[in-house]
Formats: sequence, C-alpha cells, structure tokens
Amino acid sequence: MIAVTGLGAVTALGGSAVETWERLLRGDRAFREISLFAADGYRSRIVGEVAGVVSRQTGGDISRTSEIGLAAAREALECAGLARDVVGTSVPWAGLRVGLVMGGSTAGMFETESILSVLIRPEGTVDPVIREQALCRMLSHPLSAPTDRLARELGPFARVRSLSSACSSGSNAIIVGAAWLELDLVDAVVCGAADALCKVTMSGFHALSALDPNGARPFDKNRKGLTLGEGAGFLVLERVEAARTRGARVICTLRGWASRSEAHHITNPDASGQAPARAIEAALTRAGFTVADIDYVNAHGTGTPLNDPMETTALARVFGDDLSRVPVSSCKGQIGHTLAAAGAIEATLTAMSIDKGEVPPTGGLVDPDPACSLHHVRTAGKRTIRAALSNSFGFGGMDSVLLFGHALAAVSANGQVPWQPARRRVVITRVATLTPAGLLDGVEVSRLPLLPPSGEAIDADVLGGLDADRARRLDRTSRIATVVARKALAGVVAEDAGVILGSAFGAVDATSAFMRRLAEKGPRLVSPADFPSLVPSSPAGHVSIYLGLKGPAMVVADLATSGECAVTHGFELVRAGEMDRAVVVAVEERSVIVEQVLSVLFGAPTSGATTARREGAAAILLSSEQAARASGSPILAEIEDVVAWAGDEANPGQRTLARPPEAGSVVVVGAPNDAVDEYIARSSWAGCPRVVCSDHAGSHEAVGGIAVAVASAMIARGEATSALCVGSARGSGYALLLREPLG
Amino acid sequence: MVGDAAANRTSMLRTDLKYEIKKLLVSELNLAGRDPATLDDDAPLFGESGAGGPNGLGLDSLDALQVAMLMEERFGVRVPEGDEARPIFRSVSSLAEFVEFARGARGKR
Repeated sequence: MIAVTGLGAVTALGGSAVETWERLLRGDRAFREISLFAADGYRSRIVGEVAGVVSRQTGGDISRTSEIGLAAAREALECAGLARDVVGTSVPWAGLRVGLVMGGSTAGMFETESILSVLIRPEGTVDPVIREQALCRMLSHPLSAPTDRLARELGPFARVRSLSSACSSGSNAIIVGAAWLELDLVDAVVCGAADALCKVTMSGFHALSALDPNGARPFDKNRKGLTLGEGAGFLVLERVEAARTRGARVICTLRGWASRSEAHHITNPDASGQAPARAIEAALTRAGFTVADIDYVNAHGTGTPLNDPMETTALARVFGDDLSRVPVSSCKGQIGHTLAAAGAIEATLTAMSIDKGEVPPTGGLVDPDPACSLHHVRTAGKRTIRAALSNSFGFGGMDSVLLFGHALAAVSANGQVPWQPARRRVVITRVATLTPAGLLDGVEVSRLPLLPPSGEAIDADVLGGLDADRARRLDRTSRIATVVARKALAGVVAEDAGVILGSAFGAVDATSAFMRRLAEKGPRLVSPADFPSLVPSSPAGHVSIYLGLKGPAMVVADLATSGECAVTHGFELVRAGEMDRAVVVAVEERSVIVEQVLSVLFGAPTSGATTARREGAAAILLSSEQAARASGSPILAEIEDVVAWAGDEANPGQRTLARPPEAGSVVVVGAPNDAVDEYIARSSWAGCPRVVCSDHAGSHEAVGGIAVAVASAMIARGEATSALCVGSARGSGYALLLREPLG
Repeated sequence: MVGDAAANRTSMLRTDLKYEIKKLLVSELNLAGRDPATLDDDAPLFGESGAGGPNGLGLDSLDALQVAMLMEERFGVRVPEGDEARPIFRSVSSLAEFVEFARGARGKR
C-alpha cells in the first residue's frame, strides 16, 4: 500500500499547504485583478494570483512556474522529513532512491511569451543583440525546464520525469509516481505539478469565452466560466512499510487511481461523462473499494457551463442513489483553475481533508444549478472521511481520478480485493517511422532509407493522407503524430490503448504566431481555434481523438532524449498494468525558432550539414505480452529492461544493465554524442556493431523513438538477437534493452 | 425602376459578401476539400455533419467562437453572445444579413 507522507502547496490562498487549507476552510476567495500584466480587453481581469513569488536568481531555465513549484516541492519534502543531506553520511537521501515527477503546461511561458512575439519576425527586422538575448531566455520555455530546475535544486534524484495532460497533469504525475513505487524503481517519490499565469492562457481562455467576469462559481446556476489561477502542489509518496520503518507519519494512503481518455473533442467535454465514470470505476476497483466507502469527492468543478453538469452526470453514473449521501466540493471558486497544477493541489487538499476530518466548501456557490444536483458543501464541516476521490479532467479529454484512504482504514467495508501490483512483460507489436525520406512500417522500418538531399521537411502529400474534415484542427506536430500512429496501428482497433507522446518543444512557432497576433491585434482577435494547439499535451489529445484511443493519454518531454523518454514512460505504465496497450509516439516538427535557439545556446550545426536538424516521428505499439498473445498479435521484440538516470551523481550503479550482449547483439543509437559514446564504452556492449539513426532520419529530439522502432524491426527480421538503444544528454539518459520475443 | 436597380445592387453586394464569407470559412476553419463556390447559402453551418442535410458543414461551438472572431476581424462587426447569436450563425445567408445589418446600423449612427 502507498502512503502519503508529505504535502506541499502554493496557491493564491497562501504560500503553503497549511495556509491554503486554513483559508480554504474559511471560504476565502483569493480572486483579485491580475498584477502580472495589463489585462485590458479581456473578458475578466480577475485571477487567483500567487503573492510574493521571489527568486534569488533569474535567467536560464528559471521561471515563475519553476519557483512556485520549487516552494511547494520543498514543503512536501520537509513535511515528509526527507532530507537530501543527512548528518553522518555523504550519500544523498541517506541511500534512498528518491524520484521526481512533475506535471505542467505553461512552464516558462510567462517569461518567454513577449520574446516569442519578437522571434516570429523575420531576421533583420530585430536588433541582433536583442534577438540573441531573447533566444537565451528561451531556456525556460520547454515543458521539462521547471523539472530540470527542481532536479538541480532539490536532487540528485534517482529518476526524473516531466509530463503534461493539460488540466489533469498533476493527477497523472501522482499516478506515475505510484507506478514507480509499484515497479520498485524508487523508494520515495515527490510528485506534483506547477503552472504560472501568463498571457497565452489568459487570452486563450478569454477567446474560448470560458472566463467568468465575476469570478468562478462552480455548480452555480449563474456560473459563466472559470477563473484562472496559478500555483503548485506536491505529494511525497512511499510504501507504507518503508514510511513506518523510517518513522515518517502516514498522512493518508493512496488507494486507487486511473486515467482514461474521452477521444471526443480537443476543448469540449463529452457530456455523457463516460470517460470520467470509467476512470472513477477503475480507481475504485484498484482500491478494492465501492462507492459506499467514499465519504467525499473533491470535484474538478471548473465553473464552466459544460464541465459541471458533465461531472455531475459522471458521478451519478457511478454513485447512483448513493450520490446524495456524499459531499462534493470544488476548490476552484477560491484558488481558481490552476490548470496543470490543479490535480496536484487538489490532491493535497483532499489528503488534508481526510487527515483533518474536515470537508472544504465550494466557494462562490450561491444558487445551485438543478443540472448539478449534488450534495454541495456551503460551509466547511467536520466529518470522518474513510476515503475520498479527487477528479481532474483535461483538454483533449484526459480524465484522471485519485482515490485516497484514511491512514488507519486498512480494508474496504465491503471486502473487495484490491488490485495486486505485478510486473508484466512488455512487447512491441507494431512500429512505424515518418521522416523526410518517407513513411514506413513494420520490418520495413529497418531499411533506413537515406534522406533526400534537399528538403528537411516531411512530404506534404504524406501529411495530407488523413480525413480532411476530422483532421482540420490538427497542427503540424499533431498531424505528423497522427499519421505515424495510424500507420503503425494499420487499422487495428485499440480502444483500450493509451497514448504516450514524447515531444521536447511542442508548438513553439505556433505559440510565437499566437503571441504576435495578440500583441498586434489585441485580445478580442485572438484565435480560439489556435489556442488548444499551444497546450503541450494537445498532440496526444489529437492522436487519441482521431484514432479513438481511450486509455491514459499524456505527453512527456526530456529535451534531446524525448523519444527515449516516451518509450520508457510507455514501458513503465504497461509494465505496471496502468494499461494493456500504449501507442507511443515520438515527434518533433521543424521549427525556425528552436533551430535558432539551439544554434545560439549549443552551437548546433546549421542546415545544410548532414546532421542538420530535421523533423520526424516514430510510433511504437507497446503491449503486455499477455494482451498481445490473447489478441494473436505478432510480436516484433520484447523490451527486456530499461535503465534511466538523471543528473550526473545520481546512483551511477543503477545505470548498469542486468546482462551483457550475446552473439548477434547490436547497439542502436538515435543521435550520437559524447555522453552516448561514453555510456556504451563503459558498458559490456562496446564491441557490438552500431547503427546510428540520425544519419538516416536526421537529427532531432524524437530520433530516439526511431531508434527503438529500427531495433524492433532488426530483431523481427532476424538481423539482431538483441539491441541496446541509448540516448543521453545533459547528464541524464536512457538505455533500453530489446530482445527476440520468447517462444 | 430606380427601386429595382437599387434592389439589384443590394442583391449583387450580398452575393459578393456571401462568397467572401464562404471563402473565409473554408480557409480559416481549414475545410479542406470544400469549394467556396459550391457551398450552399442556406445550408445549416452547425450540428453533426450531415445532420443539417447533405450540404451542412457540421461545425461546432469552437468553430462558432472562431467565426465570431473572424466576423469582427474581417468585417468589423461584433456578433452578440449567447442565444442572440443562434439565428445569426444559422447559415452563410444569415451571416451575410447580419454583416449588412450591423454595418448599416453603424452607418446610421
């Protein structure tokens, strides 16, 4: 069983979880006019802004988001009594393997959006010095930047991951942390999310007509939308036995969790509430609980006209007549909708409600909407809570549910058997790659065609191969991702499958165009249809919607090793049983701005060189061996082992693979660099033949995904018995070991 | 006779305006494969594709927000929000009527 031993939160209500909790119970609404930037012309200027964000340093990858996140993560670690530096030992964390999982969506947007509105202008129209300064500030922009900042300040960590699933990012970070514990990859994990306010989200939700001018009133008849907030939430999770051994206080337990996708629409929720209902049911099943065990629901409750009745319908589907018994409240009328951070902050507050035996109210609720017929909480009240749910639903229909139980209540009153963790064998059943040289699938992938000498972009005809009506909202990254995923699936119906998509930079050029339009035309003429594409999780949402994939969907990012990161993430979640099948997509689009940033920061080669940054993608269908055998699906290769490391000093012993190569083993590298060469040289695989994919697929952040696809195809063709895929950059890396399937 | 000529001119202007709106919808909503020249003036814009007859565009609420923004950008008219907007968004014809009405009302002020 998993224990929650640390909590931390920074919200508009307060700089700590404790302060937030006290004001939450009092019913305070922390809404006021935004001070971060002029918000003339917006539907609402009211936000939940965090007071007094001070950073000792600025520049580099440091952002408002990272500093808010840092404060919350520190509080959680202190609350758990977990210290990196322990008296009497030089070993960090006294030898415990501590992991970090961080969700987000805006990252350094607040710092970079004014820069982006400049960068889109043609070279020569901007002072070169200003341009170069601007490019250097872009370090805070990637989704992984706040995580890297936290890892540097608080680490070293044994394992680090950055993810986004829009407004359910925080919940998914906690789910991934729980999966790591079940796989015994870490002894403790600090998991959560942070998001700061910025013009992109303010103008985007304004354009979507989703901001309530008077401040959000969840479930109220007169609600007109959400109020944006900012903040961070973090939890420390560890196994109950480990927490007790360490003498840590168990605040409550994490008993169940699940994530499901609606595969419906990029912004609008499916009114039927089916996906959230399936997620709640799956979380209950995992915990071995029934609705009779649930004494409180912390709702997503955004206050938008569409969310609140949909959520009510979803709860009614699962709870039936029991729903009138269970108090339901939303924190978003008091702290605002903190987007990616919401799931983590609300998980923190749900944990506190169980621990303190008190239910927080729904701030701003005056006149309940009959379409939201729930047991509303008008003022905080004492109550014994045996177990509680926390709901979070994101753009693109990514719905996640966490189920927390009281520290002492060991079993359900109804005697259901909780889910038993197991480590499943993970196999690769289908692959496809998409490069400027073409679209390939199956064993053809290992042909490694040469890139065309001219043209760094993927052929427009290939990208045009989707249904025109259904694909009309897909931006370039989403289109590349959907084309390659569709090719890999080749018509296989995979409704249960999840989508794990790796992308380092997302839609930088589109964000730049969006910001330029905002700067030049004002908030009234911001494009509502363009906004969803700027959310980092959007390509995973589009793949899920286009292909009808209803398992967990999220994006992961780790700069140059985003491709390897995505395969690792999919492997972990299938291995832990979070889903039977996952469509893993690694994708990177060409971006003038990204190329300029990379050349200024790292002196990356400019176009024309053989290793010029190109664009490309790979799709890999992962399956539990059991599910693959049950469906009679041919197996290309098995993923035997994955080693991931983060930071130079973190547990170097863990980087060692379990076994040496045999006759016929090969090493397949996405893009070579000194770190990759050094890893291979130190391993027992140094003498194996080496395939370098960037020679054929171009150099970009998704090339690690292509390497795994190529390795699978080589094994399936009998060209290799096993393959080691290595990607490394900036002190962190991944080594994936693939082999022939057994039997 | 003079009245007929004026009515003719109005009708021509409205035909041009409708074509301009059709081009705008096809390009800005990425309705690839649709030809502005063959879009039906009176076919319903919104609802399930095909639900409004074979010529319906099957647009949704996100498109409605986009169309409202485009009307303001291209024609300088503000589409009202909520229920008032429903009849305006019915078809290309109703959008053209609204643009003419809003421009006329502004001219008289």
